[in-house]
Amino acid sequence: MLHAEHISKIFPTRRGPVQALDDVDLKIDKGEFLVFRGASGSGKTTLLMILGAMQHPTKGKVFAGDVDMYALGPADRARFRAENIGFVFQMFHLVPYLTVLENVMLALKNGSRETTGEEALQLLERLHLADRLDHKPADLSTGQRQRAAIARALITQPKVILADEPTGNLDPENAADVMAYLHEFHQNGGTVIVVTHTAVADQYADRIIHLSNGRLEYR
Amino acid sequence: MSTFRQVLKEIAHRKWNFLLSVIAVITAVAFFVASLTMGKASERETSKIMLGAGFNLRILPRDTDMYEFWIHHFTPHTMPESYCDKILSNPNFTVNHILATLTWEVEVRANDKQAKALWTGIAPERIPPGKPKKPLQPPVKKGQVHLGYHIARDLQLKKGDSITIEGENFEVVKCLQETNNPEGDDIRVYANLADVQRLLKFPEQVNEIKAIDCLCQTSVNETQEQTLERLRREILNVLPDVKVFHWKQIAQMRHEQRLLMRRLVAIIAPAVAVVCLIWIGVLAFLNVRERRAEIGVMRALGYGSGRIAILFVVKAFIIGLLGAAAGFFLGTLFTLQYGEEVFKITAQAIKPWYALLPGVVVLAPIFAALASFIPTMIAVTQDPAQTLRQE
Repeated sequence: MLHAEHISKIFPTRRGPVQALDDVDLKIDKGEFLVFRGASGSGKTTLLMILGAMQHPTKGKVFAGDVDMYALGPADRARFRAENIGFVFQMFHLVPYLTVLENVMLALKNGSRETTGEEALQLLERLHLADRLDHKPADLSTGQRQRAAIARALITQPKVILADEPTGNLDPENAADVMAYLHEFHQNGGTVIVVTHTAVADQYADRIIHLSNGRLEYR
Repeated sequence: MSTFRQVLKEIAHRKWNFLLSVIAVITAVAFFVASLTMGKASERETSKIMLGAGFNLRILPRDTDMYEFWIHHFTPHTMPESYCDKILSNPNFTVNHILATLTWEVEVRANDKQAKALWTGIAPERIPPGKPKKPLQPPVKKGQVHLGYHIARDLQLKKGDSITIEGENFEVVKCLQETNNPEGDDIRVYANLADVQRLLKFPEQVNEIKAIDCLCQTSVNETQEQTLERLRREILNVLPDVKVFHWKQIAQMRHEQRLLMRRLVAIIAPAVAVVCLIWIGVLAFLNVRERRAEIGVMRALGYGSGRIAILFVVKAFIIGLLGAAAGFFLGTLFTLQYGEEVFKITAQAIKPWYALLPGVVVLAPIFAALASFIPTMIAVTQDPAQTLRQE
């Protein structure tokens, strides 16, 4: 489903270029639960962003099926993201001035998919946020915030969910809940790619790939 | 949720940033409106004065020593009062007001006090037939006087009191406001010309004639100086034993005020605009910085640059619109409230300039959008992956 073909990423910095990814070649199957493990600075978030059509690789190509993601123009790539990919971040990145429901609906207002508010309500109910619909992110616990972020990722019914340290700011109980939701999405046929430096997602993973100094390590 | 609603929610969330931006626009607009309204008032008043005003001329006896005249504000030489009629009957030019006076330095007494004063006898104003106008100088009846500010104050006189001049008592019918003008009006005692002529023993004589709004036929290309010279020649043809000079004090004051307004608008206003532009720009930049994660996540959700730019542009327009409306009314209010104090001469001509409102309402949002342009560009070009990684 996703094919990263000899991906390299170099960031220019004041102290000279930094190689974040070095000739990464990878295929991810549809419906796979893939975990990237690695220490901080190993390049795992960069790889996630490149796979999510968010950041141009310096070298190499990324295919989603037959589509070369980075051959698309910015508008088409944005549409591709809206229709196919859901993101979950460690810091949640909910829009602070919108309510939980509005944050979820925000994902639908870019033309990604026609849906009704009813669907968002059901989803939020399923994620135990029914009584927090009109709350702003600042009024939520960290676990609730991440559940709202997961709802925002799920509402578009993406093919892939990319999760960057999704449990990094959560207590074990909430972390387990989040992983359970991702697992559920996977069970329903979705592809999940999780980036983490802990073993939190290992039990759900079809495959665990380690990253070190921008290179994949198969153990 | 529409873009507009999202913008409104963001505004409600970050009230201070929004309020400070609106204040910046209000400041710029209010300043522009106030200076333009006062400038317009100044021009309106000046043009009203100058329109059909022609030249104001001062006519003195030929032997007048101008040094003495400027020191004492009168000349001891006199000329016949009938010169006024000669001027009015000249067909080569027209005069809207003729004011003949006889002024002399005298000692005035009242309440056991005495003071030196300029005693000015005013002839009933001669107004050309068919041109009914309000007299420039209020007429004074025989046996009555109007007192300049200092005379009334120093001799402790008020309306209804009596004052002795040249051995004769006069009734005080008016105490004038302080003028502080260099013509010595605050130490004048105005009386009927006939009384002054009688007591000073200058029957039917005056020592100054003011010819106000003198006009003559001019050619299109004639300069102001050429017209003035022509008028002077015409008067000297009729009255060979006088000297004529241009009395431009009021016109000049208005002209200088108008220039001051123009300088104000030309120099200070752009400076205010630039400061406000930077002010809004900095606030917009801070807003973009604060919203980096939001922008990043919107990009991740598939929003394009256009939609993100619209969020900032719509906000800038709202800031501009509110600032324009509030700035217009504040600027107008300020002008009406304090314009009179600042620009005393044009006080009466100051009135709201509503025609400015549409222009301000159109231009202020553009101004605010322009100030937000660079921050908006930063917002749409920032690397969302980098932002989401850092935040």
